[in-house]
Amino acid sequence: MMHIPFRVVFEQRGETPRRLSLIVPLVSVLAALFFGALFLLATGYSVFDTYTNMFKGGFASFNGITDTLALSTVLICTGVSAAFAFQMNLYNIGGEGQLYLGLIGGAWAGIALGDHLPSLIMVPILLICGALAGAAWIFVPALVRSRLGTSEIVSTLLLTYIGASLIKHVIYTPGSFFRNPNTSFPQGRRVADSASLDSFGSSRLYPTFFVAVVVAGALYWVVKRTEFGYRINVISDSPRAAHYAGINSRRTTMMVMSISGALSGLAGAMLIVGPYGKIEPSIITLGYGYAGIVVAALARNNLAVIIISGILFSGLRVGGNNLQVTTDTPIHIGVMLQGAILLFALGGEAFRRYHIHIVRTQTQPNIKMSA
Amino acid sequence: MNDNIWILMSADAIAIATTLILAGLGALFTERAGVLNLGIEGILLASAVSSFLAADASGSIWLGLVFGALIGAILASVHAVLSVVFRANQIVAGLALVIFGTGLANFLGKPAEGKTINTVIEPLSFGSLSDIPVIGPIVFGQDIITYSAILLAIVSSRYLFSTRPGLELRATGDDPATVDAQGLSVARIRIRYTMFGGALVGLGGAWLMLAQSAGWHQAATTNGLGWIALALVVFAGWRPMRIIFGAVLFGFTLQLPFTLQAEQITFIPSAFLEMLPYLATLIALIALSRPGSRNLLGAPRSLGSPFVRDER
Amino acid sequence: MSNTSHEVAQGPHHTSGAAPTALSAHSIDKKFPGVLANDSVDFDVRAGEVHTLLGENGAGKSTLAAVLCGLYQPDAGYLIRNGKRINLSSPRAGLQHGIAMVHQHFRLVDRFTVSENVILGSRDLPYRLIRREIDEKVAAVAESYGLPIDPEAIVGTLSVGQRQRVEIVKALYQGAEILLLDEPTAVLVPSEVEKLFENVHAMTAAGKSIVFISHKLGEVVEISDRITVLRNGRVTGHVSGRGTTDTKELARLMVGRDIELNSQRATHAMGHEVLQIRDLSLDVDDVAVLTDISFNVRAGEMVGIAGVAGNGQRELADTIAGLISPTSGSITISGAMTTDRGPIAAREVGLAYVPEDRLGVGLVPSMSIIDNLLLTRNRQTVVDRFSVRPEATRLIEQFEIKANGPDHLARKLSGGNAQKVLLARELSGGRTATRLLVVCSPTRGLDVGAIETVRRILNDARSAGQAILLISEDLDEVLSLSDRVLVLYRGAVVHEALGEAAELSQVGAAMAGLSSQSH
Repeated sequence: MMHIPFRVVFEQRGETPRRLSLIVPLVSVLAALFFGALFLLATGYSVFDTYTNMFKGGFASFNGITDTLALSTVLICTGVSAAFAFQMNLYNIGGEGQLYLGLIGGAWAGIALGDHLPSLIMVPILLICGALAGAAWIFVPALVRSRLGTSEIVSTLLLTYIGASLIKHVIYTPGSFFRNPNTSFPQGRRVADSASLDSFGSSRLYPTFFVAVVVAGALYWVVKRTEFGYRINVISDSPRAAHYAGINSRRTTMMVMSISGALSGLAGAMLIVGPYGKIEPSIITLGYGYAGIVVAALARNNLAVIIISGILFSGLRVGGNNLQVTTDTPIHIGVMLQGAILLFALGGEAFRRYHIHIVRTQTQPNIKMSA
Repeated sequence: MNDNIWILMSADAIAIATTLILAGLGALFTERAGVLNLGIEGILLASAVSSFLAADASGSIWLGLVFGALIGAILASVHAVLSVVFRANQIVAGLALVIFGTGLANFLGKPAEGKTINTVIEPLSFGSLSDIPVIGPIVFGQDIITYSAILLAIVSSRYLFSTRPGLELRATGDDPATVDAQGLSVARIRIRYTMFGGALVGLGGAWLMLAQSAGWHQAATTNGLGWIALALVVFAGWRPMRIIFGAVLFGFTLQLPFTLQAEQITFIPSAFLEMLPYLATLIALIALSRPGSRNLLGAPRSLGSPFVRDER
Repeated sequence: MSNTSHEVAQGPHHTSGAAPTALSAHSIDKKFPGVLANDSVDFDVRAGEVHTLLGENGAGKSTLAAVLCGLYQPDAGYLIRNGKRINLSSPRAGLQHGIAMVHQHFRLVDRFTVSENVILGSRDLPYRLIRREIDEKVAAVAESYGLPIDPEAIVGTLSVGQRQRVEIVKALYQGAEILLLDEPTAVLVPSEVEKLFENVHAMTAAGKSIVFISHKLGEVVEISDRITVLRNGRVTGHVSGRGTTDTKELARLMVGRDIELNSQRATHAMGHEVLQIRDLSLDVDDVAVLTDISFNVRAGEMVGIAGVAGNGQRELADTIAGLISPTSGSITISGAMTTDRGPIAAREVGLAYVPEDRLGVGLVPSMSIIDNLLLTRNRQTVVDRFSVRPEATRLIEQFEIKANGPDHLARKLSGGNAQKVLLARELSGGRTATRLLVVCSPTRGLDVGAIETVRRILNDARSAGQAILLISEDLDEVLSLSDRVLVLYRGAVVHEALGEAAELSQVGAAMAGLSSQSH
């Protein structure tokens, strides 16, 4: 057999050095960008043009930075949605589908209630309806997870495909409530004017950004300080200890998953009150829900850090989309880099948790006494 | 005429089942080793595109298939290294792979969009056997990959349950500490089968592309087949022979909407027909997790958890 | 004492003229983060003998065994096998040199058959496995050492003693000449221990070497040809000759000082009945786990439940604690019916419960001491950690818990300190003053000092008038602490005796299912 002259040893760290918590994500991003550069070179695109245009498009201009914040509004919500479920080792992979339902819930309220109520009441109603619809979409996965232990990973994901069909259905079916009756080609019906917010100045940034930030902060506090959060922490660490202490895991699972679904639904409703004002079928190709999982993972599921990772990540996407206008590099490099960053971050996580060192496997062991 | 379309549908259902069998077996081998690779969907997409590009550039479909399998193995090796060597969270790593694979596929596929390949994988010729009514087109109307996939499932079953490496594979998924105590390398076994599984998934993606689709159109090519394959493994109770059965069943639900549409059966909205395979999978998944059926399932006990030799 | 020297360090040839040395270890060092588990340890074993490694938990026996079989690589030192230096990079390399370990926690795949388990990892296996041939071969090997096993049985369905036999057969099948048995009797009932000893003699008679690892003095003296004592990773002595050994001296070598583990039963008055159990039965998946159990525990009384693991002890404790609903029967704590009411209702009338698993059940590993104190108490909607802090500090002091204050994480506590935190929380009451304490295996895995403290805490609690139900697989512990002893066998109480009057042999027989009325 082949003899490998060294062995990689993973030694669990007692305490993670603080600097590593900062350096590892940073290096992960750089490594992913480096990998992307190699990839671009190999496929014959300009690395410099691609990256400078991405950076300009995402951060280094007024439009860039406001677009980034605007996109982060949604990604913070879907990120918090994923991370909140993660707090209890639950994997809500179907945030995407719950977001679709949020679109439907928000649009429904915006159309059905008509233009009677002031914005100050109308907009919260839309957001709540979207959140409720998102929560409803995760109800079955939550129920079977808490009662039967059915994997929520696959069930929430399958419901995303079903949700996508539902979106198509409500837009493409002639005479549908959500379809614009005035056009012959399929298009969403606009919600009441009072249900739409105005963006800040010439930007495309909406006040919902602050709602997203407050929601993330509030949930951070809930997990850290409240009895509900305490229960979540006990269950996630040791389910048997929860059982021992009389904590009802089923109910907590239901609640956590419902809140997670509601947050993705909220993200959908924010798209209605903000930029779109109607159900736009192309939203189902954007993958905001999936991106939330990446945002959460990059923040290592810290609900407050998600605000930062959400903004950085949005910048990457906005910058990636900018490529369409400025270069011939396919915009999908953005999505690819998202995946790569996450993969590198996962690899980097090992350096945070373990002290990794390479040992020579000696053919002669250390001998104190000569043989 | 009316009969005919149902026969065609059955033939197509078995055809689509090919990708499910290959991807399902890929996931099965991976999971039998104790590794949960949720990145199947991403691998399917990336290998589909790569196989298309390779076949387009070389003019050889077979080279395309090989290339698809190769890309599958490479992507799976990323997952293997992250989850086995770096002990990363396998669920997140798998999802990262889905995102990465999707981006990669769309990036590479950009120039290929709308293109078609002239040659396709032809069904095998069994002479007059194919003319037998009903079973002719269903049983004797498939291509070599479909037959190979079914054969592979049978061989896999033998491999898993009556060979030495099969025994070691099953033990690794169930009880890695025991395998380690025997002096076998858990890491090596896990990496090997994760990559092998990825190659099978890649082959499935390549076949989907080269035998089923006319050309590359983004994510629509796989449409969640990778996720269905993962559910299929649960459905099959981690047994290769049952993968065939489950794949054909899911193949039918995937084909049914097209057939009903062709038959002008329109009282069911098409969107709901589209949902059918996912709904069927979901229901099957829930039904299988009823208490009591758990023991029959036979999920590898260490599935999804990294193996750490406990050195205090 | 003269025999505390490193007399075996010299090499393959031994002075006594007995069988040749089969395996020897020289100056073995093995470090783990924060501990030197083996410190310059020398050890050897001859063909056809039983050489015992004796020591407390954490003395370094298991580490040395792991080095001997190739599971760990020593940081310094080397091994000699049949006169030649060997370098074991893995257990497989160990097997190639005929060295095999039978682990304390069996390394068997539950879902595999006996023969599948036996052949797993064998080197000379053909690619294709024919079930029938393998079954026959495995049965033949087992038979040749007088170890009957059913090759087709699924290991998950076997008793602990049978599984151990599978492990031994597996080692023999793989051609082991030297078998390391790591705490082999820890999980066995007395009758199974006897059978094991017979098997050990059969193997030594066939020329195999046995390295026997244990901390139980009595059986060590019975089985060993030679004994090496370890303490804190160092060899503290050698003793040779079967049956001639002074156990007191061995205990001193093992512990490092004279110690009296039999704590005194305090004289005390007993009060009213705090726990009343009537006709308690529990079925799990249609299998009877507990049958018709009835007994009481009075205030100021400690009732001990003896039994071999898996005879319903855990379920009994969980049922009393309200974690499992019984199939029939009733539980009354302090006069209140708690059957079927859940754990919180039981705690509200004075129950405290120290479960078998400290970390992961009794304590949440990733949480601080403060948060762990809150686990079984009433919590406000917004958790008020501030007001618990002074109490946490006081309990840390009172129970002599070694921790950097109330924010110390539970998983960073040593076993003994974790147990003290758990006892501190349970005895200090939460929802109401503690009246009944249910403790499971309170000293398992603890070092001697911690064992003493824990037993003292339990005695103090009894003296303070609390009713205590002590459930333990450590028979000595149950007998030395309890006022009354009940033996649980297959979910039923098969024997009852007063603490002082309990006869070890009778209790042991009852534990093995040999109750007096059946014979």
